[in-house]
Amino acid sequence: MIGPRTALLAVQRRLAALRRAALAEVEDTNRLVYHVLRGGIVVSVAFVVFAFLLSVAGAGPLPEAPVNVRSLDDELARLTPAAFLSLGVLVLVFTPMVRVVASLLSFAEERERAYVLVTGLVFANLLVGLALGLA
Amino acid sequence: MTPLEQLLLVVVASFLAGLAGSYLGVGGGIFLVPFLALGIRVDLPVAVATSLIGVIATSSGAASVYVRDRLVNLRLGMFLEIATTLGAIVGASLAVLVDPRYLFLLFAAVVLYTAAYMALTRESAKDRAYRPGRESPLAERFGLSSIYFDHEDQGVYRYRVGRPGAGFAASGVAGALSGLLGIGGGFVQVPAMNVIMGVPMKPAVATSNFVIGVTAAASAFIYYARGLVNPSLAAMVIVGVFAGTHVGTRLLLRGRAQRIRFVFVVLLAAIAALMGLRAFDMAVVP
Repeated sequence: MIGPRTALLAVQRRLAALRRAALAEVEDTNRLVYHVLRGGIVVSVAFVVFAFLLSVAGAGPLPEAPVNVRSLDDELARLTPAAFLSLGVLVLVFTPMVRVVASLLSFAEERERAYVLVTGLVFANLLVGLALGLA
Repeated sequence: MTPLEQLLLVVVASFLAGLAGSYLGVGGGIFLVPFLALGIRVDLPVAVATSLIGVIATSSGAASVYVRDRLVNLRLGMFLEIATTLGAIVGASLAVLVDPRYLFLLFAAVVLYTAAYMALTRESAKDRAYRPGRESPLAERFGLSSIYFDHEDQGVYRYRVGRPGAGFAASGVAGALSGLLGIGGGFVQVPAMNVIMGVPMKPAVATSNFVIGVTAAASAFIYYARGLVNPSLAAMVIVGVFAGTHVGTRLLLRGRAQRIRFVFVVLLAAIAALMGLRAFDMAVVP
């Protein structure tokens, strides 16, 4: 037989475990978002610095206009400063988008329907913006 | 001015924009656009596009620190991002249809009202404390209410998010402004959270910094594809802004909420004045 005292203790333990799990979840999404944002900064600045070093080394002048996305791989292969500067800028512009996708996946993993929907809508809006940009 | 001196000047200006932007949650576009267009005479569309890059840089740099220190309300931010991105797209599409003069006048009035309201109300520890009563169903459904640690008085505050519908609508307006003017919309976003939704100043600033990156990204790609981003200027802006957010986030974490509110009110009053002048064709700022 289980006395009321033991039952109460069991319930309390269960609640404490749930609370820890909930905190751990928040922790996970927080950490993920932090790493995506920090990663975006580091990669973006790395490309920018590399472009400056290339320019100083005489690989070409600093550009006035961005390199077209379609010819970017070609320019990158030729190691022009313009290509790496544009790449750095593009990495920065896409960082928020990657952050949205990462949190979408994180919420899907945690089966939080409401926030899968929320981040899904944000992502859809961003895609519309991107499509309008390409049109 | 030699090109090198000019680039160095851009780095210094971007440093200040990043510092102020991360401290106030406004992204710094409202400082960078006038500097680039009037200060070093870049064409206006290029200035707007390059400043959008600066807004995203401020957002990434500041939000990463604020997310790490649990100051950002991630759920609230993502909830509001639906409205800001939608508003940004609508704003960018409507930009050609509306006479901006009426918009400027309308916003000057709204911004002035907000500045007055924020100047007249104070935020003490008591205001930050949890308010009893029923939570709105929408806020409860999306789990918007949150908790944060304030360095100012070493207190942990649980706060409730009120009027999520009205805050959502205001964020849509912030997004539309962003799409129209090429800014992050933080100067609408922060009061929307602080005044309408009852979020304490520090989490409001942090969450706004988190949101504006996505809002700006929605329109930044359009500007990039049109070839308006000057990569050399943008690179200087990125480097300067990141360094600025490094200092600005530190100031906010240790700062007093009341002082942040005061600086914000001064900024709002200045924006209202400039927008009002603009409405009557006395353009000081593009």
